[in-house]
Amino acid sequence: MGGAKDSKKQKIEKVNYPKLLRELSKLNDELRFFTVINENVSEGVPFSVKDNLCVKGFESRAGSKILKGYLPPFSATSVERMMNKGFGFLGKTAMDEFGFGSFGVNTDVVAKNPFDDKCVAGGSSSGAAVAASVMKNHVAIAESTGGSISNPASFCGVVGFTPTYGLVSRYGLIDYANSLDKIGIMARSSSMVRETFEIIKGRDGYDSTCVDKKVSALKKKKIVVIDQLMNGVSEEIKSTFQVLLARLENQGYAINHVSFDFIDKAIPAYYIISMSEASTNLAKYDGYKYGMQYGDFTKKYNEFFTNARESFGTEAKRRIVLGTFVRGASVKDKYYTKALKVRTALTNKLAGLMKDSFILSPTMPITAPKIEEARKLSPLQTYAMDALTIPPNLSGFPHVSFPYAYIKGMPVGAQLVTSHFNDYALLDFVSEWEKSFEYQFKHNL
Amino acid sequence: MKIGLEVHVALPTKSKLFCACSTTSEEPNSSICPICLGFPGSKPMLNKAALEYSLDVASALKCVSKNRTSFVRKVYFYPDLPKSYQITQLHDAIGVDGHLDLEKKRVRIRRIQLEEDPAKIIREDNYTLVDFNRSGLPLLEIVTEPDIASEDELREFLNELRSILYYLGVDIEKELKVDLNISVSDARVEVKNVTGIRNLVDAARYEIKRQEELVSKKQKIVAETRSYNEKSLKTDASREKESDEEYGFIYEPDLTFYKIEEKEREEPIIASRIAEAISKKYGCSKKTLLELVQFDSKALELLQHSQGKWPIQSIINVIEVLKRYESIKLSNEKFTELLEISKSGHQITDQIIKNVTSGSHVKVTVSDVSSEEIDEEIGKMIAANPKIMLEHEKNPKALNFIVGAVAKKLNASPRLVSERLGLVLKKGFKN
Ligand SMILES: [Zn+2]
Repeated sequence: MGGAKDSKKQKIEKVNYPKLLRELSKLNDELRFFTVINENVSEGVPFSVKDNLCVKGFESRAGSKILKGYLPPFSATSVERMMNKGFGFLGKTAMDEFGFGSFGVNTDVVAKNPFDDKCVAGGSSSGAAVAASVMKNHVAIAESTGGSISNPASFCGVVGFTPTYGLVSRYGLIDYANSLDKIGIMARSSSMVRETFEIIKGRDGYDSTCVDKKVSALKKKKIVVIDQLMNGVSEEIKSTFQVLLARLENQGYAINHVSFDFIDKAIPAYYIISMSEASTNLAKYDGYKYGMQYGDFTKKYNEFFTNARESFGTEAKRRIVLGTFVRGASVKDKYYTKALKVRTALTNKLAGLMKDSFILSPTMPITAPKIEEARKLSPLQTYAMDALTIPPNLSGFPHVSFPYAYIKGMPVGAQLVTSHFNDYALLDFVSEWEKSFEYQFKHNL
Repeated sequence: MKIGLEVHVALPTKSKLFCACSTTSEEPNSSICPICLGFPGSKPMLNKAALEYSLDVASALKCVSKNRTSFVRKVYFYPDLPKSYQITQLHDAIGVDGHLDLEKKRVRIRRIQLEEDPAKIIREDNYTLVDFNRSGLPLLEIVTEPDIASEDELREFLNELRSILYYLGVDIEKELKVDLNISVSDARVEVKNVTGIRNLVDAARYEIKRQEELVSKKQKIVAETRSYNEKSLKTDASREKESDEEYGFIYEPDLTFYKIEEKEREEPIIASRIAEAISKKYGCSKKTLLELVQFDSKALELLQHSQGKWPIQSIINVIEVLKRYESIKLSNEKFTELLEISKSGHQITDQIIKNVTSGSHVKVTVSDVSSEEIDEEIGKMIAANPKIMLEHEKNPKALNFIVGAVAKKLNASPRLVSERLGLVLKKGFKN
């Protein structure tokens, strides 16, 4: 199915909420993709919100125990804009704690893949991808720092769009790494993504990094494939990707294979910057102002906040420790400052490559792994899973993951990247793609 | 001996540095919002007025400003810091390499930076309260080079700086928070968080004495952080946990780089310089003038408006009286009236000020009379009152009657009449 043909129509369409809520609740027992379901929703096209976006009065804890019970006194700008347009807020979707993960397993609510519930849904926007996949008429507001939209979109077979950094206000986003965090959209079709993008983008008086730039739709006739990105990709994905390239060549695109060594620097630069920022963002959770309350105020402050911070998960603790280390004065130039320089250099080089081309790659090097396998991966093996999604994320380039094949019944996504503020070109591309390729879904709530 | 300062000044903006909360609320925790409480999801938005004020200060202190400014996060854990990091500046501070000139010394300004104030900690016997009204107030930190070499210079520097800040609109009634760096020998000792001028000077005096004693006893001075105890008037070694290593500064990624537009800023008012110029021009004491105008823009305005038109001593006297009666806020016209009254020989009293300012006073105008006319009238008076001429040898006050009567009749200045009378008597009374 190709999603809605006319986006205007969608909004008038009456949603049978009692039925949807009933079915959703049942499926959620199985796939665990919603952390909170809004039982009171009664009208409008349903949209869900990744748990790290604040929704006034609804528990918003970014997949973390430390924020358990936090009811934000305000809604994220993107959420508010959706509500103002008459969309129905369906609930909060599961995610890796604070976005720290590639498989959605670094949290207490582990979403399962709708195509095979033994498999992960991806991460960190795991629940959002499942929600987008299982409902006919639904948009999921998600967020990507290093690939958290592309990755689960690929594993769950939906369109996952990450706009240019700064196009969508981050106000109300519980920060992971502020210079990398981007709010984006997941849905079954590019047209639903586009409609939502129109609503949530644009300047906001509450986020200084949010800009009001004109978004272009410059179509590129060339597609660049970077050799180094293909290195870690599994053989079965490589071969489906060759088929995709052949199809695109048939459709008139020129495919260029280029070697670009420097791209290997993207992963270390990304992890240094994101962990540096994350370790400062997580400093505020000291257990007495919001979220989980650690009642024993008789303790000294140092002891008190140290106890409270034991509630962080293992990955969060790892990133706090590493992030604190790499920005320490004695090593800062070697790591943090250098990573900033690498980011600038990489951004310039990639921008050069994309002057007249898109960059295309598989979104993930593998199809969704089994939950148990994912849990066994070492941190380094997990970080390597982000090799394809990190470069555009590090540089704030807009990118979209779209389903292009199914391997043993599991969806496979490809990721298309373009230059800053050329976001519409991506959506046009996918919209074109959808004319000749039919997406498959397992559930149809 | 070298003293360097880190002075923290609260900027007089209406709202906080990164949110719309008021800066003037009294009731604890009444002026707070998700941003200044650092709630998850909130983001800071820079208050442009604070940026403008800090650029004014940087310009007045002759600092160099880059064409952009940016912020950093300084991480440390303390209950007064809701985000557990303070948004402050490092690389792109508001201004660097400035100076402030004292009477005999130039004190170099190393850096001026804008940052947010932490919340206020209120310590009770066995518990601690936090008032977040202060969290996020705009603070300007002014860092000097260690160019101050004595207690007098310290006092002069602080007064000069406060005067400049006062004329830029900063409320100097709020106490300055200062970190003092004092080194008598090589080791640098930092005395943290001293508030108020008196405490600062006391703390510096104690610390200098302490270090000098150690030197004279040939003991080592430890480079350390100390705190000042206002009760014992002593400094004590304090355990400082954080170092630059642990602050782990990174760019504040929620704020962008802010362009600093090059524009001509108004020449700052430097009261001491104006006082000096006037004192040279009219030969009066600079110290007296500075005392009148250092922290009083109205007094400065009256002084500048009337200088050259009236004797400088009269101006000083009237301003002094006005300040004594806390009546300095009056128009230039009313001030001129008071100067006229003063010139006519009347003492300026509280009552006269009240009358002049309320407009009920019958104007004491001095008419334009020539000395000949006065002399003539004096002659007539003496002729009419021969007794007085006999008495005045024994009792000089007897002449006051003549002065008063002549002045009243001619509407002349009593002082002038008195002068003429003296001359007339000297020359000998001719009739
Ligand atoms: Zn506030």
